[in-house]
Amino acid sequence: MAGQPQPTSAMQVVLGAIQLPASFRLGVGPIIAAVVLFLIVLATATAYLYVPHDPMNMNALQRLKGPSETFWLGTDPYGRDLFSRVMIGGQVSLLIGVGAAIVSVFIGLVIGLVSGFFRTADAIIMRIMDALMAIPSILLAIALVALNGPSIWSVIFAITIPEIPRVVRLVRSVVLSAREEPYVEAAIALGSSMSKILWQHLMPNTLAPIIVQGTYICASAILTEAILSFLGAGVSTEIPTWGNIMAEGRMFFQIKPELIFWPGLMLSLCILSINLLGDTARDMLDPRLKKREA
Amino acid sequence: MIFRNRDFSDRPTALQIKGLSVATVGGRTETQILSSIDVTIRDGETVCLVGESGSGKSVTSLAVMGLLPKGSLEVTGGRIELEGQNLLDLDAGAMREMRARRISMIFQEPMTALNPVMTVGAQIEEVLDSHTRLGAAEKKKRVIDIMEQVHLPDVERIYGSYPHQLSGGQRQRIMIAMALILEPKLLIADEPTTALDVTTQNQVLKLIAELQERHGTAVLFITHDMGVVAEIADTVYVMRHGEIVEHAPVETLLRSPRKVYTRELLAAVPSLIPRAARASRDDAPALDVKGLTKIYDTRGAFKKGRQTRAAENVDFAIGRGRTLGIVGESGSGKSTVARCIMRLIDPTDGEIRVGQADIAKLNRAALQPHRKHIQIVFQDPFRSLNPRWTIGDSLIEGLLNFGQSRDEALKHAGELMELVGLPRDALRRYPHQFSGGQRQRIAIARAIAMRPDILVADEAVSALDVSVQAQVLKLLDDLQEKLGIAILFITHDLRVAAQICDEVVVMQHGRIVEHDTAENVLGRPAHDYTRALIEAAPGRSWDFANFRELATN
Repeated sequence: MAGQPQPTSAMQVVLGAIQLPASFRLGVGPIIAAVVLFLIVLATATAYLYVPHDPMNMNALQRLKGPSETFWLGTDPYGRDLFSRVMIGGQVSLLIGVGAAIVSVFIGLVIGLVSGFFRTADAIIMRIMDALMAIPSILLAIALVALNGPSIWSVIFAITIPEIPRVVRLVRSVVLSAREEPYVEAAIALGSSMSKILWQHLMPNTLAPIIVQGTYICASAILTEAILSFLGAGVSTEIPTWGNIMAEGRMFFQIKPELIFWPGLMLSLCILSINLLGDTARDMLDPRLKKREA
Repeated sequence: MIFRNRDFSDRPTALQIKGLSVATVGGRTETQILSSIDVTIRDGETVCLVGESGSGKSVTSLAVMGLLPKGSLEVTGGRIELEGQNLLDLDAGAMREMRARRISMIFQEPMTALNPVMTVGAQIEEVLDSHTRLGAAEKKKRVIDIMEQVHLPDVERIYGSYPHQLSGGQRQRIMIAMALILEPKLLIADEPTTALDVTTQNQVLKLIAELQERHGTAVLFITHDMGVVAEIADTVYVMRHGEIVEHAPVETLLRSPRKVYTRELLAAVPSLIPRAARASRDDAPALDVKGLTKIYDTRGAFKKGRQTRAAENVDFAIGRGRTLGIVGESGSGKSTVARCIMRLIDPTDGEIRVGQADIAKLNRAALQPHRKHIQIVFQDPFRSLNPRWTIGDSLIEGLLNFGQSRDEALKHAGELMELVGLPRDALRRYPHQFSGGQRQRIAIARAIAMRPDILVADEAVSALDVSVQAQVLKLLDDLQEKLGIAILFITHDLRVAAQICDEVVVMQHGRIVEHDTAENVLGRPAHDYTRALIEAAPGRSWDFANFRELATN
């Protein structure tokens, strides 16, 4: 049995979990969204290769200039090139979005599995989660950044914490129904250990919904980062992010609206396409929605 | 056995299906689901469509109702005539009117067919609202009248009740009331009693017959249960692979079936004659249960609740190589007992001795080494295997837990597949590639792989067609012969219990009411409840496999 696939490998678990419908026709929307998102990611990731100016380089003589051949989108109040700043700033924004999504999904998954399977743990964990959800997430994030200082990692941490309860609830609900499945009871009867049942029988059931949830968290994290920066509680001001750029442009908004328009446009396009792709993933992974369509 | 030998040849035809064909559409290839079937039902006649799952019974009824799922199934030919009018020519609006006034349908599961947030009285009234113009008082009178006709007790109270407040039998009565209030010409009943207990089933069947008599309704009754057919049918149509195999008046069909398939189908119906009890292979019992009690307590420090005694003082023992059956209706506590013994739930009190050890109070870690001695097979073969795992991985799960190497375990799994009559290469495939019966074989192989002393079969053949059921029962018997396992067989079906059990325990309301050899329990029942169960078993005086009355001894 050399060719026997190993179910224990993560890849098999993931591929087994995501059974795509054989004939799923993508609409125009998701394709446009995917292309837009791909272009934004590509452009920001490779930004250092092509941006014409150092995004940090101040020049008092070039303050608040309009678009020109040297400064494609004009300059900000400190004479820094807006185009370079928007492209480089995207890196941090996207990093925070993706980072917060991955960390909160992973931590939420572990806590949710435990909470869904063990009753005593559930009673305690869910009360903590309820308490976390009772605090407005922006307020909690501001407090956390204030505690840990304004670094990228502390912002990711601050955005992750309020998102975790949502993931935990989602995972827990899936586990609660899946653990009643006879195949899980059969595994208990076969003497499988709790960790084996959790990871190999129950966890794959949660993958489809948390992938979808992950995209929403990613979009909302990018937005929250922008809000935190705008409130002055985000990544420290010398690092450009879409939120920081908009926060600094705020005071000159009436003279020069482009300062907010360009980073805002990138932000909106980015979030719109991530959400659209998340919706598409949900439709593809949820068989009930598929039926309703037919 | 008294059959309904009535002659309908001079009655007008209610429904005539001529050369009806249905095929799948929208897929890559067109598959024929029904190929040119003909069915005739006259006024006041009950026609039974019988066949195994996938034979096209339900598709036939949906086609008549005009409810074939759009975009996946379509009528490709033939006519469906209700009193001479071809239903296939009607547009959606006319068909909707037709469905309420002239044809109506009752389904298998009344809980899902009723709206949970409306009182049942309002739901029956809704039927009148959309198809008649009656004043409020007149409407209520009609509803109360039909509710009395279906023999619901305390009609005024039930009128204002929600579906969840009623029992399964009462809900099905409400469905029947809704179906018959507009006095339709044709009633389609799709497995209407399959989800009900035998005693309730008996009452519902009688009710349908009584109302049919009163209103002269033609009934198309879909079922897989030959016992039910013997009780209620005038004419029987046997279906297989979307074709009518044969049709005949019920007595003719049961006495002298013409086609091989019909004979096979009838021969597979388990007989109610119990097997002779076999001797135990060993003096010490493999499983010894003493005073097992499970109480569900919903009372808490801050809330009122109540205690439910799901099982109380249950005692029995099974010797090696023998089978003990637990029979009873839903809610009798038989599954609770099985789950306690498997330690899937924790018993409140009592002893469960597996070999020498009492496992009733062991914690998770201490229980682990005892797990391999006792294994379980579940009812639903579609959910008892992890759909994401290959058959091979499911089979070796337990072996790996008890220290076998992967290669060794897979070799063993191959042998097991042959033991349960499946090809070795099936190990690489996934559960969805197998039929229900095959999956149940795999589930049995998985349990047997552990070389257990005790096998718990919780309604293990209840979800299977009769012919498959017979094969799986045979397999269990062979395995028991070879391996000397003790089997605890939980079932609601007395016919199945008669086939496989040496001893039978009858449970009611969480208690054992009778415990004796199968011969005594089924042949000379001592308790009233046991007698009521046997009385209610449909077709109990007919020996299906031998096409004659049951020899009384």
